[in-house]
Amino acid sequence: MLEFVNLYLVNGIVLGCVYALGAIGITMIFGILRFGHFAHGDMMTAGAYIALALVWASGMPVLWVLPAAMLLTAALGAGLHWAFYRPLDTGTGSTIVIVIASFGVALMLRSAVQLFFGVDITTYQRGFQTPIWIADTIRILPRHLWIIGLTIALVVALHLFLTRSRLGKAMRAMSDNRALARISGIGTMRVVLAAWAVGGALAAAGGVFLGIDTQLSTQMGWNLLLPMFAAAVLGGIGNPVGAALGALVVGVAEELVTFPWFGEPLLSPAYKSAVSFAILVALLVWRPTGLTRGRVF
Amino acid sequence: MNRPTMAASRRVALAAALAGALVAAGPAAAQQQEVRLGWMGAITGPIAQLVPPILRASQLAVEQVNEQGGILGGRRLTLISADSQCNAQGGNDAGNKLVNVDQVVAIVGGLCSGETIAAANSQAIPNGVVMVSPASTSPLITGLQDRDLIFRVVPSDAYQGQVMARMVWNMGLRRVAVTHVNNDYGRGLAGSFRTAYEALGGTITAFAPHEDQRASYRTELATLARGNPEALVVIAYGGGSGLTVIRQALEGGFFNRFIGGDGMRDDVLPRELGANLNLVVTQPVPREGNPGLEIFNEAFRRVGGNPASIFVAQGYDAAFALALAIQHSGGTDRARISASLRAVTAPGGTVIRPGQWREAVAALAAGQRITYVGASGPIEFDANGDVPGNVAQFTIQGGTFVQGPILSAN
Repeated sequence: MLEFVNLYLVNGIVLGCVYALGAIGITMIFGILRFGHFAHGDMMTAGAYIALALVWASGMPVLWVLPAAMLLTAALGAGLHWAFYRPLDTGTGSTIVIVIASFGVALMLRSAVQLFFGVDITTYQRGFQTPIWIADTIRILPRHLWIIGLTIALVVALHLFLTRSRLGKAMRAMSDNRALARISGIGTMRVVLAAWAVGGALAAAGGVFLGIDTQLSTQMGWNLLLPMFAAAVLGGIGNPVGAALGALVVGVAEELVTFPWFGEPLLSPAYKSAVSFAILVALLVWRPTGLTRGRVF
Repeated sequence: MNRPTMAASRRVALAAALAGALVAAGPAAAQQQEVRLGWMGAITGPIAQLVPPILRASQLAVEQVNEQGGILGGRRLTLISADSQCNAQGGNDAGNKLVNVDQVVAIVGGLCSGETIAAANSQAIPNGVVMVSPASTSPLITGLQDRDLIFRVVPSDAYQGQVMARMVWNMGLRRVAVTHVNNDYGRGLAGSFRTAYEALGGTITAFAPHEDQRASYRTELATLARGNPEALVVIAYGGGSGLTVIRQALEGGFFNRFIGGDGMRDDVLPRELGANLNLVVTQPVPREGNPGLEIFNEAFRRVGGNPASIFVAQGYDAAFALALAIQHSGGTDRARISASLRAVTAPGGTVIRPGQWREAVAALAAGQRITYVGASGPIEFDANGDVPGNVAQFTIQGGTFVQGPILSAN
């Protein structure tokens, strides 16, 4: 039982936290702009490397420079929208051009990171940590406590922002019904840029957490894209908190299928990647609204 | 037709004419001057750290050809590189670019076995282009239906796996767990290790593939650690899953002793995990007592290269041997390269060592047979385009891998 918690469940939750921070951005951008943002993974990569540059420049631990990295990546997200997606928005409701453009943006972001930082993998801090014991039963790495704690704090803060602040409410209104929100006098551009900024900031946090947990590589974000989309669909498209919960489910499911439930692992770990595929397909077939009964587009 | 459209159509016509002229004149003129040799390898991806020296070594061979009078009667040899990303898709794309867009005569590469097999099957073999890999060790390459087009100057892992099994056995380890990256390289080497180790009497407590580039391998490790293994054999790339697997194995207290193959000989491991990391790896190395190696090392040092880098001698040999084959064939006809490559490496001719381009050209002009004995030793291709070779043990000393003894499989 303890083995189950320490070796499988905790890892699944940590993985879910990283997925969550990306999935929230994907679901918000889909909700407000109606397109799947395939460059989101590479925006996480960019955020992680921005934090690396700040660590090099300041010499401070990475968690200290995290707020600055989040701000810069928020600006990057808004900048991407302004430079690439806005000019391509025809206003006709067809977004396929923008979806394809986001693939191009993904390649550009990755290449830019490779240009500035090289293609070798690197880390924020060398060496490795040893786990600590909590109440003599739970064995967990200190950095995992940070990742889980900060992710919870960020998701709660986002929830409060969306439910309490004017801008947050405007974003939800826009996500629910774009035309109605516009007639009610909600400034479209402001809301859209806010969505990109929030999405970018959370993507940076996710990228940094993944970098802290493993290492930085220029493909780190791209590799997360599929589980993050699965999480966004699972949570009900357009529902940020749902996406966070969906991410948790995907992350935990990926780890738990390899647990030796009946003496042998349920699934060879080599097939872990297939789990998010399976969840995605099953949902689209049987429950396209997601777990939280979101909308279908 | 109104005016703007006419102006536009005239502009289009002009552009088309210009483009046509460029297409007609450009490549023809360029082809007269330069002879194009392709080079593909995983410039980005999990072995990115290992690739630049190999590319540099291939470039050195090309530079020597050009410094010593050029190829095919004074024409310039150019090396066109393409990034194959260490995966099948990347290999296919890079192969397509080199074969169909750049129209190279032959290809040096790829490096990762997966990219080599993909480029071979989808591009090189259908188009009749010779590939010489300096680093792809998967046993699967031996069996390719390749019309004698796919060669390599590094021994197959069918042998490295046997050597690795003997090394692990001689280290006194009787129970090990094995995890390998789930691609052509990982499957090939891990499979050959498993067969050889079990034949020696060792016990494989767990044998699990893993996907490259994942964030966490902790559950895999938890499964691998069952059954009291004494060490973990990691067949992966040090800059990819290898680093993550070992880091998480140490953090979780699953393993503290590691064995690896050539893909793990990446200095990123001691750099990130500490100089006292207990990791021993095997790697195919150039044969000892071969004067060509010293000649190459000296030349490589002179251009700022580090001869101790992995697969640089092979990277040089693949490029130099292909240059010799092109010279021997007397033209840029792709179809004749394979036979010429066998001709310039077959024993019994005038011995040509690394850097002796002028001598080789003179000997060929005089109608003599030549035998290239490269930096990695004599290149004795068998019927499958494979070469025999040596495998050495490498251990970590002072933050880098240091070559130990050449190992035997028995």
